[in-house]
Amino acid sequence: MLSNLGNILLFLNVILSLSIIYSANKNLKISGEVDKNIFQLSLIQSTSIIICFFVLIAAFIISDFSLITVYQNSHSLKPLFYKIAGTWGNHEGSLLLWAIILSIFSFLFLVYNKNHPKKFRLLTLIIQNILILGFLFFILFNSNPFSKISPIPSEGLGLNPILQDPALAIHPPLLYVGFVGASIYFSAAIASLITNYSEKSFSLSIKNWVLISWCFQTLGILVGSIWAYYELGWGGFWFWDPVENASLLPWFAMTALFHSLIVFEKRNLFYFWVIILCLITFTLSVTGTFLVRSGILNSVHTFASDPTRGIYILIFLSLMIFGSIFLLFQKYKKGNYDLNRNSKETFILVNNWFMMFYLITVLLGTIYPIFTDALTDNKISVGPPFYNAIIFPVVVVFLLFMALGPKAKWIKNKFENIRIYFLILTGAIGFNLAIIFFFKSYSLLSNFIIISALFLIISSLMDIAKALKKNKLDFARIISHTSFGFLVLFIGLNDIFSLEKDYNIKLGETKKFENYSIQLQNLDLKNYKNYQAVIGKLEIKNINSNQTNILNPEIRIYDKPKTLTYEAAIKSSLIKDYYLTMSNIDRSDYYNIKFQKKPLMAWIWISVIMIVVGGSIRLFSNEKNN
Amino acid sequence: MIMKLNFFLFFFIFFSKFAFSAEKTIDPNLIHKNLRCLVCQGQSISDSNSDFAQTVKLVVKDLIDEGKTEEEIYEFMSDKYGEWIVFKPQLNIQNSLLWILPYIVLIFGGFLIFTFFKKRQ
Repeated sequence: MLSNLGNILLFLNVILSLSIIYSANKNLKISGEVDKNIFQLSLIQSTSIIICFFVLIAAFIISDFSLITVYQNSHSLKPLFYKIAGTWGNHEGSLLLWAIILSIFSFLFLVYNKNHPKKFRLLTLIIQNILILGFLFFILFNSNPFSKISPIPSEGLGLNPILQDPALAIHPPLLYVGFVGASIYFSAAIASLITNYSEKSFSLSIKNWVLISWCFQTLGILVGSIWAYYELGWGGFWFWDPVENASLLPWFAMTALFHSLIVFEKRNLFYFWVIILCLITFTLSVTGTFLVRSGILNSVHTFASDPTRGIYILIFLSLMIFGSIFLLFQKYKKGNYDLNRNSKETFILVNNWFMMFYLITVLLGTIYPIFTDALTDNKISVGPPFYNAIIFPVVVVFLLFMALGPKAKWIKNKFENIRIYFLILTGAIGFNLAIIFFFKSYSLLSNFIIISALFLIISSLMDIAKALKKNKLDFARIISHTSFGFLVLFIGLNDIFSLEKDYNIKLGETKKFENYSIQLQNLDLKNYKNYQAVIGKLEIKNINSNQTNILNPEIRIYDKPKTLTYEAAIKSSLIKDYYLTMSNIDRSDYYNIKFQKKPLMAWIWISVIMIVVGGSIRLFSNEKNN
Repeated sequence: MIMKLNFFLFFFIFFSKFAFSAEKTIDPNLIHKNLRCLVCQGQSISDSNSDFAQTVKLVVKDLIDEGKTEEEIYEFMSDKYGEWIVFKPQLNIQNSLLWILPYIVLIFGGFLIFTFFKKRQ
């Protein structure tokens, strides 16, 4: 029953998309306002795709195993929360979520951009609906969440236990709003090219959408890495895994985009560059989806791979890319590059310069193994050491620019008072030396990174002091930039001061290292609703301060599907996290335990949240000004 | 000018004192982190609980005890299991684009911004 209802709604959406394209196209030729029917159609479209999604959620809640998707990804004994979250925790359901976001953004863009030319708005709508159609066809003919299975199984296969987690339940929707949201400025960019709508006001139509998608993308990445931190059990939060990279690539493009939009809005420069960034962002989102869903890359996340999906997405992607390139060449006009080397414009371009560097590096690192594999049959891995070696030295310079750039004036700048920057730099070096003096020394590159992060932080804080006097404060920028400085600082310090120890230990045994002792005091076997757990009780003692902490890592044995997972025990505080995982060693009564002390973890998360706060402030102040 | 000079002097004296004093012993954990667990999905040896990872950890320990350097250990591993096992791609002709292209982009971008987009008077 639900299957039929779902399919009917999907077909209804195809018809709605087609009729929106048809009526928008008809409306293009008539002068006057945008036809009211189009608004209604667009609203019905959003509503019906949401209802369609609710139908799928309902199928998951009542465990309707006549649907393959529900059968493969759910289980009747699963807690209700994870039944619901399971709806988008799989390939088919997540595509439906894509379609929802595409439709809602399409409707909202139409409603909120009444001041822009009718042609531009209608064309954006048409392009967006072509994208929607592309996804609907993909859903209907390749990845239909409402496909039936017969005979109807009596029980489902269950959701991968590592995905049964609150962070992972909200992580995909956040990310999707981010990179599917990018579709709307992809469509707008194409519409702008076709209708020759290249005035400054074009930036007003998209800048808030860029900010919204950027904020969600950032939060999505954050929640994803928090999940990786406590769920994957290795104590890291970023592994340069292909799927992580796939979420980072559009983020670089978005960041570059909203910076260059500032210049475009103010000085009417770089129109084509802005357009290219709009096109790249969504293209990268789809590329990421292709890489993840086709199973072409080996990653912790490849739970949803299937080559036939890959081919469809690849065709879709190629059409997008070739279409955009063709249009760009058709419409390209030599732009106006009237700028001074020392000006705010140039400094904002510097942001784009570095973003493109990061983007290319990460993109290359992600797809290079595919090429070596195909061309030379030689499989290589591109992992953290590559990215650290290429990116980190450049980050040093980037942070310095990030500190200086915002102070520059439009058109023609002159840095007054160079002395003050030397003072700041000396201050940063002083802080760095203090850290070394009181704690420990570290590598040369780490020194540079800490110093440049401190330089950015100090100079941003001084900006606040200065701006408060003049009562002209750009909170959004200062908060985001300062927080980025803190982020790099905390990541650096975390990396430098992390402590990691690996032991094989028996019940009752104690191990000592540095000023800690660790004892496996007890093992407990417990039965839960959908898994069994071996729970260890370990005491971590700081010998100097005589402080003790009890940590309880678990080994979980899930029934459906049959899997073994290792749950880390984490004791978080503002200063440091204790992180402990435990695993059994076959055919022995020893347990392998991995203890980590990770300083300032909480501050890494807080810094990212503050970066988003900065973005949100900009969004609200934009709204207020309009 | 003198201020600048002083500044750099100050900078270098302190760095030569602190920056290079980090210990030079091999940390097995660091090596484990840079080796891929071949039977897992995208995990490193350090993060994995598999039998394969346990074996590799023992091999690494032996190699360190034999006095091999970090680079030699990676070389040993990739000879035995293929390049796929090391997370740091080797510097060779096949991987040259991977290592060089990012910097070409960086230099080209800098050239574009600071030379090409000059203000035409």
